[in-house]
Formats: sequence, C-alpha cells, structure tokens
Amino acid sequence: MRRAATLVLAAAVVAAPWLVAVVVPRQQRYLLHVLIFTALFATLALSYDLVVGHVGSLSLAHPAFFGVGAYAAAILATRAHWPFLADLLAAALAAAVVAALVGVPLFRLTEHAFAVGTLGLALVAGIVANNWVEVTRGPLCITGIPKPVLGLPGGPMVAITTLPGYYWLALAALVAVALLYRRLTTFRLGRAFHAVRDNEPLAGAAGIDPLRYRMLAFTIGAALAGVGALYVHYLSVMCPEEMTVALTVNLLVIVFLGGVGSLRGVLLGAVLFTALPEVLRLAPTWRLVIYGALLLLVVVRSPEGIESLLRRVSGARAGR
Amino acid sequence: MALLEVRGLVKHFLGVTAVDRVDLVVEPGELVSLIGPNGSGKTTLFNCITGYLAADDGRALFRGRDLTKAAPHRVARLGVARTFQQVSVFPRLSVLDNLLVFLQQHQEEHLLARLLRTRRVRRLEAEAVARARRMLDLVGLTARADAAAGSLSYGQRKLLAFAGALMPDPDLLLLDEPAAAVNPTMINQMKEHILGLHRQGKTVLLVEHNMDVVMDISQRVVVLDHGQKIAEGSPEAIRRDPRVIEAYFGR
Ligand SMILES: Nc1ncnc2c1ncn2[C@@H]1O[C@H](COP(=O)(O)OP(=O)(O)OP(=O)(O)O)[C@@H](O)[C@H]1O
Ligand SMILES: [Mg+2]
Repeated sequence: MRRAATLVLAAAVVAAPWLVAVVVPRQQRYLLHVLIFTALFATLALSYDLVVGHVGSLSLAHPAFFGVGAYAAAILATRAHWPFLADLLAAALAAAVVAALVGVPLFRLTEHAFAVGTLGLALVAGIVANNWVEVTRGPLCITGIPKPVLGLPGGPMVAITTLPGYYWLALAALVAVALLYRRLTTFRLGRAFHAVRDNEPLAGAAGIDPLRYRMLAFTIGAALAGVGALYVHYLSVMCPEEMTVALTVNLLVIVFLGGVGSLRGVLLGAVLFTALPEVLRLAPTWRLVIYGALLLLVVVRSPEGIESLLRRVSGARAGR
Repeated sequence: MALLEVRGLVKHFLGVTAVDRVDLVVEPGELVSLIGPNGSGKTTLFNCITGYLAADDGRALFRGRDLTKAAPHRVARLGVARTFQQVSVFPRLSVLDNLLVFLQQHQEEHLLARLLRTRRVRRLEAEAVARARRMLDLVGLTARADAAAGSLSYGQRKLLAFAGALMPDPDLLLLDEPAAAVNPTMINQMKEHILGLHRQGKTVLLVEHNMDVVMDISQRVVVLDHGQKIAEGSPEAIRRDPRVIEAYFGR
C-alpha cells in the first residue's frame, strides 16, 4: 500500500512536465519554472541540512558556498568555455576547498560564535562578489552563461534547451544529492554525526574526533551547495544578489518548517516553501508573513518540523 | 610496566588547586578505588587522564604513553574508557545505536569504506550489533533497544552509559560514581557488574562515595583531600586511617 503510493508519487514527479501540459496547458511554462526552482531549493536545503540537522552546527555560510560554486561555474563556462559537467565539478570542488579552509578555525568557536562567524563569511563573500569587478563583473552580473550540454568529449552530446529538459536535469541532481544525503546520514557515518550533534564530550569518549566529522559534513555540504551552480546555467546569468542572507533565510525556513535532520522533512519543506505559494498565487509580501507565522507555529508546537507532526498523526491513526 | 601511571599531576582552577601533585599507579588487573570528600579533585583527575582537561604539571602514562597531551578520542582509542559523573548518553540515538557508536570507531574508521558500506564494514557492523545485544542483555535493557536513549529513566541511562564504556572491551575502565543516586537493588547490580569485570581480568579505577561498595570490592583504595593524596592502602587500613577519618568527619 505504502510502496504503491510511493511509486505513484515517484512516477508523478518524473512525469510532471507531461502532467502539467495536459492539466494546465496555459500555464505550462510558468509551472515548470516553479518545479525547477523547487528541485533546486530542495537540493540546496539537503546540502544545508547535512550541517544544521546532522552535526547540529548552525551555519549561516551557505550563500558563500553556493556563490563560490555559481561564480566558478559561470566564469569557467563563459571565459574558459569549459563543458558543463566539468564546470559543475569545478564548482563543487571550489566550494569544498573554501569550506575546508575556513572550517577548522570556525569550528574552534563556541556554538553562537560559530553562527556569527559563518554569517560573517557569507557577508564577506557577498562583498567580494559585488566589488571584485575584474572577476565577477560585480553588479553588472556575469551574463550569457551557456545552456548545459551533457555528454563526454568524443561521445554524443545532448544540449538541454527546453524547460522539461531543465526540470529532468534538476530532478536528476536532486535524486543524486538525496541518495548521497541518505548514505551519509545513516549507518556508521550518520551515527557518528548524530553522536557529535547529541553530546560532543561523550562522542570523544566513544573515540570520535568531533572536528573530523563536523568538517566532513561542512565540506560535503559546501560541495553540494556548489552543485547549485546548475542554477546559473538555467538562468544564464549570475548576480551578487543571488547569494545574500535572504538565501540563508529561505533555507532555514525550508529545513525547520519541513523537518530538520530528515530527508522527507526537507523535501516536504522545499515543496511547501517554493511550489505551494506559487501555485496559490500569493503575493510575495503575504508569503513571508504566512511563512513567518507558520514557522513560529511549527517551532512552538512541533520543533522537529511538519514531517514529524505528520508522522505522529499518521502513527496515532494507525493505532500505534 | 604499570598500566596507568600518574606522576605529580597538578591542575589549577582560578585560585583552587583541584589536583595537587598526585601520584597514582594502577597495575594490570587491579580494582582500585579513588575516594575523597566532595570537591577533593577525583573527577578533575579523571578529566586530566582522559584528555578533557590539560594538566598544568605532571604526566599520566598509559602503558608508558603520555596521555596528558592527547585529545579525548585519542585516549579512548588507546583503550581507556570512562563514564561521566553526570549521566551522559546520546539522547536522540536509539539505545542500540548508543552502544554501537562506542565500538565502531575502534573497529575501523575509513570514511570511504563507510560511505560505500564495503563487505568488511558490514561484517564488522554485524559483529558490533551482536556484541551490543549481549551488552543489553547484561544490563537488562533488551526490551528498550529501539527506544530513544533520552526516553530512559535515570537508572537505565546510567546502565546504558556503563554498557557503552564496556563495548570496546577497554583495557582500563574509569568509572565516576556508577552507584550514585540509584536504588539499592541497582547499587548491588552495579557492584556485581564491576566484580564481574574484575574477575575477567579487567583493570578498573573506581570513583565512588558509597563506602559499602568501595570497601567490599576494592583491592586498594586511594584517598584524595583538597587535591592531595592523603592515604593509600587496603580497604581495612583505609577504614582505620586517622587522616582519612579526619578528612571525612573532622570538619
Ligand atoms: N571546570 C571547573 N572550573 C572551575 N573549578 C572547577 C572545575 N571543575 C572542578 N572545579 C573545582 O575543582 C575542585 C575539585 O572538583 P572535582 O569535581 O574534581 O571534585 P570531586 O572530587 O569529583 O567531587 P565530587 O565528589 O563532588 O564529585 C572543586 O573545588 C571544584 O569546585
Ligand atoms: Mg566528581
């Protein structure tokens, strides 16, 4: 029964472009755009949750990692004419290198100072993006980023030019990140992450080096945020505004609304945050008011997020 | 060679000398108790030995290796396990996972192998699960294996923390008040557990306020007062020692 429901849902997600075309043909382009954004935000939120949800460090640095990846991809694609997959890989690597460099000193800080320090990193990254004009073109933005072309040198090439094509590309990235997320957060790695999150001194007594596992989550989280560079190929432009603190706020809402430390929760949060208001056609101001109120309600009533609330409700109904 | 050798260990806190030139030797297979009034420095000594505090002077050697500069996880990996006076578990991990986490780092720590879940890692995991289940049986927590550790009672958490320390089969076990604040049945249970370990040849250093437990099971007792070692000897000798009586009742 459950399996069947999951299969139907998965089929619907894959077939979404056709469903949209059949059900609401007049808004097809707009809805596909929303779906692409949902997949991108879900990917970013999963990468963010590796740190916030699984090793319990409130990092506010994610826009910096996303930005480093996005600019690396944008610059390599426009000036050096790197192929899509190569610039995507370089984006992930560049973000990971930045995280590896700043992570050790940041994690030496206490919990609150860590949050402030990572916020500082995000602000500095934003300032650099705006002012290092020779490289980023500052507020003029990097434009003309080519459409992604998939394939290996010498083999067949597929250019992604249509909206459904972008959607499937974003979905493939999301699925890959979700699988990696699950690998990292269960079994022995997940257990070590959660031990550090729950009780750092005791983790030490269990033979766990807390810094090592925090760095692992932080660096991989940054690399996956760098994969968000996919986004600049879709928009064909990268501007400093894409990496402001507003991105952190969005990710925090998604993760804490849906369910911190939970794959299903984060996916649910991304859908609620990105897709729903667009579908309901809410004005942007009202959206923030409603999300603020909703977030407050969830944090007070069900600190683990809506996902755990649903789980509890369905558990109670099943008589467990 | 002594298993644990503490030489002239000193730890100051803002004006207080919590540990004051303490010497302590524990031979393999011994069961030694460390006693002393509240605030006499027992926990601080444990923290200096296990890497939680940096000693201001002196050394703690485990099999001749200096522990005083090592981080807690290094000390643990060398085979020194400890429990905490303030009961300590991983509240959001299941009871079973609480035990597994204490063994997995000793078995292997290859990040890529863990990510790929190689056959070797899966075999080690199966061994760890089997051992954890035996431990749960030993401390009577089998029925709670899948519950979150945070949902256990105080006494159950104490047993879980004890079982966790035993998971990697440590060469030296430091126990900080395992029988404090639990009911009489459980005090006896703890006593039997510790004696059981001793019979298996394990080396135990025990901090405990319950004198019945200490006098019953220790081979040797070391007494701290104001951070200094004031007496050392057999339980009978310590019971009659005037300095010990003075330290406990004289003020
Ligand atoms: N982190 C710390 N900062 C400052 N002072 C401390 C700290 N830890 C311990 N102390 C002080 O060091 C002294 C020794 O404390 P410790 O906890 O080692 O004693 P103890 O023998 O374990 O006592 P108890 O039997 O109450 O557990 C006390 O005076 C205590 O107040
Ligand atoms: Mg103490």
